[in-house]
Amino acid sequence: MKHIEWGWLIVNYLFLGGLSAGIFFVSALATYLQEKDEFVHSRIAKYGALLAPWPVALGSFLLIFDLGHWYRFYKLFTHLRWESPMSIGSWLLLLFTAITLLYFYAWFPEDQREKLFARLPRKLVFLKKLNRDLSSWRRWLAMIGFPVSLSVGIYTGVLLGAVQSRPFWNTNLVAQMFLFSALSTGCAALIFSLSWNRKKLDPRQVRFLYTLDICFITLEFFIVLPYIIHGELSVRAVQDSLSLILGGPYTLVFWVFFMGLGLLVPLAIEVWELAPVLMSKASIHHNKPLAAFAALLVLMGGYLLRYIFVYAGQISTFR
Amino acid sequence: MSKTEMDRRRFFRMTTGGALGAALATQAACLKPFVKETASTPQRLEIPTTCELCPNKCSVIAVVDKGVIQKLNPNPENPKSRGMLCARGNAGIQQTYDPARIKRPLIRAGERGEGKWRPATWEEAFDFAAEKLSAIKEKHGPQGTLWSSTESFQEIFFKNLGLAFGSPNIVRHPTLCLASVNLAYSVTFGTVPSFDLLNTNYVIMSGANRFEAFITPDTMDLIDSTMTRKARLICLDPRFTVTAAKADAWYPIKPGTDMAFILAMLNVIVGENRYDKEFVNSYCVGFDKLVDHVKPYTPEWAEKETEIPARDILRIAREFSDAAPRAVYYAGRRSSWYQNDFQMRRAQAILNALVGNWDRQGGMVPNNKIELGEYLFLPWDDPKAPRIDELDKNFPLAAKGDGAYLKLRENVLAGSPYPVKGWMIHKQDPLNALPDQARTLRMLNQMDFVGVVDIQMSDTAWYADVIFPESTYLERLDPVEVLSGIWPVVVLRQPVIKPLHDTKTTLEIVQGLAKRLKLSDYFDYTIEQWIDAQVKELPLQMPLEYLRKHGVWAPSDVPKYGSTLNPDHRFITKSGKIEIFSERLQEAGHDPLPVYHAPVEPPAGQFRLVLGRKAFFTHANNTNNPWLNEFSPENHLWIHPSSAQSIGVQDGDRVEVTSTVGSVRIKTRVTQEIRPDCVFMLHGFGKRTKWQRLACDVGASDAQILETAWDKVSGNAALHETFVKVRKV
Amino acid sequence: MTQPNKRYALIVDSRKCLNCKACIVACRAENKVPLGKSRDWIGEEHHGSWPKMMAAFEPEQCHHCASPACVRVCPTGASWQRKDGVVLVNDSDCVGCRYCIIACPYDARFFREDRGVVEKCTFCVQRLDRGEAPACVETCPSKVRVFGDINDPGGRLREILDTRQYRVKKPETGNGPQIYYLL
Ligand SMILES: Nc1nc2c(c(=O)[nH]1)N[C@H]1C(S)=C(S)[C@@H](COP(=O)(O)OP(=O)(O)OC[C@H]3O[C@@H](n4cnc5c(=O)[nH]c(N)nc54)[C@H](O)[C@@H]3O)O[C@H]1N2
Ligand SMILES: Nc1nc2c(c(=O)[nH]1)N[C@H]1C(S)=C(S)[C@@H](COP(=O)(O)OP(=O)(O)OC[C@H]3O[C@@H](n4cnc5c(=O)[nH]c(N)nc54)[C@H](O)[C@@H]3O)O[C@H]1N2
Ligand code: SF4
Ligand code: SF4
Ligand code: SF4
Ligand code: SF4
Ligand code: SF4
Ligand SMILES: [Mo]
Repeated sequence: MKHIEWGWLIVNYLFLGGLSAGIFFVSALATYLQEKDEFVHSRIAKYGALLAPWPVALGSFLLIFDLGHWYRFYKLFTHLRWESPMSIGSWLLLLFTAITLLYFYAWFPEDQREKLFARLPRKLVFLKKLNRDLSSWRRWLAMIGFPVSLSVGIYTGVLLGAVQSRPFWNTNLVAQMFLFSALSTGCAALIFSLSWNRKKLDPRQVRFLYTLDICFITLEFFIVLPYIIHGELSVRAVQDSLSLILGGPYTLVFWVFFMGLGLLVPLAIEVWELAPVLMSKASIHHNKPLAAFAALLVLMGGYLLRYIFVYAGQISTFR
Repeated sequence: MSKTEMDRRRFFRMTTGGALGAALATQAACLKPFVKETASTPQRLEIPTTCELCPNKCSVIAVVDKGVIQKLNPNPENPKSRGMLCARGNAGIQQTYDPARIKRPLIRAGERGEGKWRPATWEEAFDFAAEKLSAIKEKHGPQGTLWSSTESFQEIFFKNLGLAFGSPNIVRHPTLCLASVNLAYSVTFGTVPSFDLLNTNYVIMSGANRFEAFITPDTMDLIDSTMTRKARLICLDPRFTVTAAKADAWYPIKPGTDMAFILAMLNVIVGENRYDKEFVNSYCVGFDKLVDHVKPYTPEWAEKETEIPARDILRIAREFSDAAPRAVYYAGRRSSWYQNDFQMRRAQAILNALVGNWDRQGGMVPNNKIELGEYLFLPWDDPKAPRIDELDKNFPLAAKGDGAYLKLRENVLAGSPYPVKGWMIHKQDPLNALPDQARTLRMLNQMDFVGVVDIQMSDTAWYADVIFPESTYLERLDPVEVLSGIWPVVVLRQPVIKPLHDTKTTLEIVQGLAKRLKLSDYFDYTIEQWIDAQVKELPLQMPLEYLRKHGVWAPSDVPKYGSTLNPDHRFITKSGKIEIFSERLQEAGHDPLPVYHAPVEPPAGQFRLVLGRKAFFTHANNTNNPWLNEFSPENHLWIHPSSAQSIGVQDGDRVEVTSTVGSVRIKTRVTQEIRPDCVFMLHGFGKRTKWQRLACDVGASDAQILETAWDKVSGNAALHETFVKVRKV
Repeated sequence: MTQPNKRYALIVDSRKCLNCKACIVACRAENKVPLGKSRDWIGEEHHGSWPKMMAAFEPEQCHHCASPACVRVCPTGASWQRKDGVVLVNDSDCVGCRYCIIACPYDARFFREDRGVVEKCTFCVQRLDRGEAPACVETCPSKVRVFGDINDPGGRLREILDTRQYRVKKPETGNGPQIYYLL
């Protein structure tokens, strides 16, 4: 009877939404810490600001594309239904995307901006009005953006967690799990983009990101564990549904690719990189390709988490 | 009619639960006029008519919107079909709107069975057929033609054409179906009774699969009495059918041994003086002879034959006689089982008689009839030639006029006593309905002419020379019909839409042919005249108007019992009594009391092929209906796990199933729902006709491997006498 | 039609079910349900082993729940519930996100690729509003389903529920299903 209704489009949607949220959160954090250390953080903040809008934009497109009637998507915004996570989520994403776009503009390099407007075709000169410097808005946008980005991160989990009929999802831990996974993918994305960059990257920047990511991953890890323990101690249906990852079709992906390669290995790598700092005053090992590799693993882990939950969840059911 | 009033009527339709409720609703509904139009939407018509997808003829209300049939609803006014329509009845719409219907007459263009057709006008088709038939008459006489048909309201016209043409060779479906059981009960009681399953307290269903092979009202009565009134249901069947699943006890009886079971019951009931002495003394003859006859048939003996524990047989016999007269050993419907089927059914009849359940509530009840008038058409002189199947010689007791299909096929193939070269077929698919398809094909191919009247391209039509497409039951006006039973009814089938294609009714087809065969005088009446003659006797002011409005008329009084229960009532038997011992049989050279002969066992490594129904298919004829086909898109060979293992096949494997007459390939369904010594496959697949897309070359046709055998007394086909080898391929 | 506190519900006496499929075809015809999808279906259970076997058949369809998850999760309000309890989908508001399908613990909903919307059992509202019983209820040979107003004190549903034992399915999912299966 049962078959998969939500496929990879939704997986991507959840992943990309979370990714943007993570990127924005980290970037916003950096914006705050700027005073303390202009050089270190502004670069991270800027990279984040320039990256943040695009994943969520793409994700939203995928969602709309997945609808039975893509051209009816506007109906999502002609209604607001408090009880429906998807309704709330749609509005949240709208708000969040708007903020990320402003934030992007606020961080858009001045010289680039001037070039851009210089090249405006005659007809569009009136747009010149838009050629304003919003750098002063950065901290405000960051401040408003914090709760919104966190909400988006949580929402991607609530969308699933709110469904009572699917025992695999129906636990309040899914939301946090998705949130911290989102934040850590955000970090990873920044680590990756920085370490892929020709400019020599400053150990202190990496240190900042590593520290964050290690926290996020650890938190995520210590939510996944109780999720499983709770489940095993819970009602029959939930235990049955967990068997999907404990000796079921998704066991391999979950343990080897998500838990192992997606969580613990990058954690290990990052800890190893930071190790010297923790030990002595010495500066961190610093190995670009390794950093990039760890970052990729985290991103993969984040993606697989969505994949496993979307698919396994749908086939889980109460007897 | 006022809203509240209407709601009350609907209310019945929506909340009558059990059969009794339905019966009440029926009566209530009978008293009120029936709305044909819902005032709100004049476009939307509700037209009562009669289903044609199986022999039950349930009452239907067709919902027609702007000339298109939207839905078929049950008509609760019919006490036989109550407020029900089965899956097939609901899917009837698809029969009419089937894109692969025969839309105009077709004349064969290529070889027989090649599927090349030339669309023809009706004139062409009639001329073509009439020419062929006349030529055959010239050469071989009218007896050189064969007229075969299965029951339908217009069958009478087709039969009459054959008779008026001068052919004695009318052959109908009973000898593929219920000839033996009918004859057995007629020989015993002088009539074929119904079984009052609604009021009975104890039912033995041996084989009869009422919960999948629907018979109205028996199916609804039985589920109601067993589930609501807790009547006991004992089921004997080599397969675990739905009936078995609902039964209080199911015994996977060894096939062909039912008579041993019955004789053992008789042994107990006679031995323990559990029979209804008063009834037996005043209504039956030959009981004394039975006493000694059943002595050797002890439960212990029967256990060896039937594989049913002796103590259970003993218990059942006692419970049965204790429950009598509200206890029945159900006669069964399709009795085309074994070569001694008639004698087995005789044993049933005797058992029923002994416990005195005759004409009593909850027992066996002689059918009440409703007398219809008859249109007086010009009579023809009886055919001079004897029947090709030599019925009088081979089956002197058999019902005249229906013929004996398999013996008939033998004689046609042998060309003795005389050649038969023309075959007209009406609402029948002999290629699937008869065992040994290759043999039927040979009989068909030795014909100079084959004409088929059908609504779709059946396997038989596929091999015809000319096809006369009939309008479907939703497109035509048929003669009214009496459905006899404990609670008889008159039903009308009227068109709910105009014919979609260039099709005609059987009467129109018959008249078209008659004209060219110079037989018009015998058929110069209209269907309306015919119906008027039928209904004018009915105790209604305006009978036809009533039937057009209601689709069905039931004399609104509840069933009557006991009309035959006075000692000087003459049963229509030789002795005028219920014949336990039958002199008629003795004279005809048959056992006057049923004598048991153990069935032949399948040789090692072979299995007995048994047949049976599913609730969503009728015979071979609607496996191509998309709304029904989805429930079984192909047929499988049921085989027990232990047997499957012994021949090394797994569930879903393709196997070759071989008998002495043929071999088919089919996937297995390894299931515990069948005895290890039997296999089973559903009817109506592996078709040859390319027009039935969903059934053509899908699964396998049982008709291709079934061997030819018949019941000695009635000539009824014996379709469970085939042993098959099963081999993985 | 929908007077206050009228509440439609269904009683199912599975023991009477013959697995004959009439209800499925009736629904297909009445509601033009496309082949391959069904608003109602028959659950089968087989137990035991030769020759002591048993088979049980159980009609299934939308339970028209008291607090339906499908309605709760619907982002546009396309899934809605009438005063008389009937849960429906308003095609023109349905964006086809299929969230409701996933949220229904009874798998009572399906997606119609051809129309890009979700479909489910409607209790045959078009018939109800004419005062007729749902097609599957009416056509059943053994009258397995009993349909009516569960709040009508004199009604058949009350009469049966007050005198018979019954169960509902997956109550733990908190939807308050309104199909009562007799035991
Ligand atoms: N292998 C096997 N053989 C069997 C049986 C079995 O169970 N298994 N059952 C036996 C029994 S009990 C019986 S009664 C017979 C039945 O044997 P048939 O009478 O041959 O039954 P059907 O296969 O239903 O074929 C009926 C034909 O009538 C056509 N038809 C349907 N409606 C109409 C109509 O309105 N007008 C016209 N002109 N044609 C119509 C159908 O398309 C179909 O081709 O089969 C017997 N043979
Ligand atoms: N749905 C549906 N209903 C129908 C029909 C249909 O085609 N489809 N056809 C109608 C017609 S024409 C007829 S004649 C009736 C047929 O009505 P039934 O005779 O009740 O139906 P069958 O399925 O032929 O019953 C044969 C059963 O006998 C079992 N059986 C086989 N051998 C033996 C044996 O040696 N002993 C015992 N005890 N059982 C045995 C088979 O396993 C099978 O279950 O159904 C009528 N109703
Ligand atoms: S039993 Fe089904 S197919 Fe047969 S007449 Fe009734 S509704 Fe039609
Ligand atoms: S119609 Fe009735 S008996 Fe047939 S399957 Fe549906 S519920 Fe069961
Ligand atoms: S059964 Fe499913 S679809 Fe029906 S009301 Fe309940 S939750 Fe909604
Ligand atoms: S698919 Fe349609 S009905 Fe279902 S939740 Fe989405 S919008 Fe609502
Ligand atoms: S109530 Fe109507 S819509 Fe629902 S399953 Fe029955 S027939 Fe289909
Ligand atoms: Mo039959």
